[in-house]
Amino acid sequence: MKLIVPIKQVPETGNVKMDEEKGTMVRDGVESIVNPLDLYSIECALKLKEEHGGTVTVISMGPPKAEKAIREALSMGCDEGILLTDKAFAGSDTWATSYVISEAIKTLGDFDLIVAGVRATDGDTGQVGPEIAAMLDLPIATFVSRINSIENGIMNVTRLVEGGYEQVKFSMPALITVVNEISFPRLPTLRGKQTARTKDIPVVKKDDLAIDSDSLGLEGSPTRVVKIMRPKVIRNGVILDVNKIGIKKAVEELVNFLEEKNFV
Amino acid sequence: MNVNQYGKVDQEVVQKLEEILGSQFVATDHEKMEPYSHDEIADEKYAHMPDVVVKPETAQQIADIVKLANEKKIPVTPRGAGSGLSGGAVPIYGGILLSVERMNHIIEIDTENMMVVVEPGVVTNEINEKLKDYGLFFAGYPMSLETCYVGGNVAENAGGGKAVKYGVTERYIMGLEFVTPTGEIINVGGKLIKDVTGYNLRMLMVGSEGTLGIITKVIIKLLPVPKAQVDLLALFPDVQTAISVVPKIMTEGGVIPTAIEFMDKLSVHTSCEYLNESLPYQQAGAMLLITVDGSDEQIVERDYDTIGNLCMDNGAQEVYVADNYTTSERLWSVRRNIAEAFKVVSPHQSLEDIVVPIGQIPALMPEIARISEKYGMQIPCYGHAGDGNLHATPIKNPNDSMDEWNRKLPLALEELYRATLKLGGTLSGEHGIGHKRKKYMPIVKTEAELEFMRRIKRAVDPNNIMNPGKIFDV
Repeated sequence: MKLIVPIKQVPETGNVKMDEEKGTMVRDGVESIVNPLDLYSIECALKLKEEHGGTVTVISMGPPKAEKAIREALSMGCDEGILLTDKAFAGSDTWATSYVISEAIKTLGDFDLIVAGVRATDGDTGQVGPEIAAMLDLPIATFVSRINSIENGIMNVTRLVEGGYEQVKFSMPALITVVNEISFPRLPTLRGKQTARTKDIPVVKKDDLAIDSDSLGLEGSPTRVVKIMRPKVIRNGVILDVNKIGIKKAVEELVNFLEEKNFV
Repeated sequence: MNVNQYGKVDQEVVQKLEEILGSQFVATDHEKMEPYSHDEIADEKYAHMPDVVVKPETAQQIADIVKLANEKKIPVTPRGAGSGLSGGAVPIYGGILLSVERMNHIIEIDTENMMVVVEPGVVTNEINEKLKDYGLFFAGYPMSLETCYVGGNVAENAGGGKAVKYGVTERYIMGLEFVTPTGEIINVGGKLIKDVTGYNLRMLMVGSEGTLGIITKVIIKLLPVPKAQVDLLALFPDVQTAISVVPKIMTEGGVIPTAIEFMDKLSVHTSCEYLNESLPYQQAGAMLLITVDGSDEQIVERDYDTIGNLCMDNGAQEVYVADNYTTSERLWSVRRNIAEAFKVVSPHQSLEDIVVPIGQIPALMPEIARISEKYGMQIPCYGHAGDGNLHATPIKNPNDSMDEWNRKLPLALEELYRATLKLGGTLSGEHGIGHKRKKYMPIVKTEAELEFMRRIKRAVDPNNIMNPGKIFDV
């Protein structure tokens, strides 16, 4: 089975600081890590490889330092990594990114499955996975929580949908995006780290791909960021003061409130 | 001293305290005082209500309060954040509870001398947050850094996970201002690397648990922040194999790690189950969590390779590597959640703080197992393998009654302490004696040594009002 996992390097947001005035993240001194939600897709691909044999290739578009994210994936057990990096790629939105990644995937030959994370923790759009599927004209199953079977080129998966689960079948090659229920990601081992360090990571530039320069970077991206603002957090707290309205009335109102909001 | 010999906090005393501080910083109602009646020990029997809580802002106010306390023979219990684990900040004779919470200013950041001057009520982690921009840090902090106050760290001589490389709090305390038990304000030490002018009162104060005075200002030595850090989690089949690697890291590997944390099988399994951790811990009989830091990534990579390879060559089942915040947090949460995980088993536990020479850790393990079996209680053991400080923690058997637990625990503890002593260890590495472990002091200290301490206490605190009933009885 040939598996491909597109990953993204994102700023470490575990202990991030915000610039209160600008409403943006302070990026100075912030570490970059593998998008935490991509760790699930890596884990899913590695599990499939363990079960069915084959190889896992990680592919990432980003600045040269995104190589670190690829090495992290290699240290978890992925076989190869490809880095798509070029000044011309900088500023690409999800559409342009998906375009570059799908063109790069076309150069890799036949494959069976692309496993992507549901979204990246920085942009939070969740668009790149489905866009790659569209551009490569692949069947797609998003929010996959379980892989039930793979038989004769037919994949049977369970998807997490609003209010429950749904089971779908489709033919491969295909693309799935996976949620955290799929399997808890493994940690890189010492031996994995040591092996990953020695691996050659091919760098793919714009000219290596048959792509249209006008569809790249900030200029080639259909998305325009007009304004960034922080949402106001409004909390409509209600205080039921037992001393003022009595315990009976307070409980009554609390129950009413919970019923109104469908909490009980 | 008999509790009846102390004076009462009457209306007149409260009024005088209000004159010193202003009435809003003097509290006598039960609800406001309750949080000051205990520390982080869950067991209520170690708690005691104060008669009045005061919140001074200056050393002079503290001096005035202490003078008043001497005049009226009222005990004064100084208190930081109350994150201690020995009952040290609990007013066991009532009286005045003196909280330094309003003295929370960083007074000076002296980059030229690499020192910081702070008030005692500064949360320890805040110092390091403030210093981030200067590329400096205070290395002598304990595990509770996000809640504890630096004044408490000094009074307790707090330790922590990084003692292998960075030592404990005392190494960084260059100078102190404190109010003596008779109400004088004294400055000892300063920004001097060398100073042999008279007795080293600075070090007498460090670890004195608030019995010799109230710290009002601290001068702390700083170090450059390490630029890179990596954590390794090594799984071993058993304790013996795990511990035998510890000295080799330093002798054969030539690396001094920042931390070497140890977790025995019971701790590992309980914590991993609690966290739903997917690590293959089932086969592991012990774990080491090793941190290395250094001035650049290459150095740290070379060091963790050395340590990791040593672990693998010496029987480790697997070694995991965390070189970023997310994975590092995942590894550390196994260690940090042990106590929480056992609270699910039983809320009643006695977090112990024994310390033995590193080489004796394997010899201690069968002793703990023996005591555990004899008294029918689980005793998970985890802690700082790099410095021999282990938090063996007897857990109440859920089938035992409270009476049974209260009868068995002191017996089990006494046996644990005696076993520790036999291996060249002692009963507390970093939590202190307070009043929780006071009665066990004669097991590990000679009468001559205890008497020497008592004489110091009697000389500087003639009325025995400064945090009385802690460490030893006068």
